[in-house]
Amino acid sequence: MADLLSEEIKTYEANFEALLGAHEGKFVVIRGAEVQGTFDNQMDAVAWGYRRLGNVPFLVRQVVKVDVPLSFVSNLLGV
Amino acid sequence: MPSFTAQIPNLQVLGPLVDMSLWISTPLEEVLKEARQSIPDPVAAKGMIDTGATGSVIHPSIAQQLALKPVGVVRISTPSSEDVPCYQYAVRLIFPNRVIVETLAIEAPLRGQQIQCLVGRDVLAHGVLVYTGYINQFTLSF
Repeated sequence: MADLLSEEIKTYEANFEALLGAHEGKFVVIRGAEVQGTFDNQMDAVAWGYRRLGNVPFLVRQVVKVDVPLSFVSNLLGV
Repeated sequence: MPSFTAQIPNLQVLGPLVDMSLWISTPLEEVLKEARQSIPDPVAAKGMIDTGATGSVIHPSIAQQLALKPVGVVRISTPSSEDVPCYQYAVRLIFPNRVIVETLAIEAPLRGQQIQCLVGRDVLAHGVLVYTGYINQFTLSF
C-alpha cells in the first residue's frame, strides 16, 4: 500500500488521547495535519468530507480505544 | 422490497456470483456535478457474496477506473496474513434489478480470482440472503 494517507494517520495518532477524551465512538474526518470534523455516522463523515474537501484523499476514522483488524475467513483477498 | 435472484450453473463449485457494477458514491457524484467535472461511468464487475468477509472488497483496477481517492485505511487479517493495512473507498454497488447499496469497500488484490468484488457482511447487514443450494439459486433482498 502506498502512503497516500500517512500524514492523516500521523495526525490521528498525535491527537488520539484528546480525540478519545472528547469524541470516543465518533467518526473523525482528517485531512493533512488537521482534524476537520466529527460525526456520529461513518457515511455522514464521508459525505461531509467530499463536500468540504472535494475529491481528494482524506481519512475517516472511528475514535476507538482498541482498533481491531477486520477479519476475512477466506484467502480470496490475495494479501 | 428491492431484491435480485441469481441462478448459477453449479452454485456449490462456483459460489454465489453476481454480475454487478461499481460506481462512485452519491456524495462524490454530487460534488463532481456541482464542480462540472466529468463523472466516470459505472464499471462492470463480477462479484461474489462472501459471508466470511467482514467488509466488501474491490480490486485495485476498480478504484483506478473510477478515479477514486481513499477515504480511510483499515487493517485486515486473513488466514494467511495479519494486520495488513488497506485503503477504503466510498462506492455504490449496483446489483441486478437496480438494487443499490452504498458502502465503504476495502481495496485488495483478489489475486488469482475471476472476481473484482467481494460483497461482504457490511452489505448483508442491511438485507436478507436466501441461499437455496439444491436449485443453485440465491436471492439478496433489502
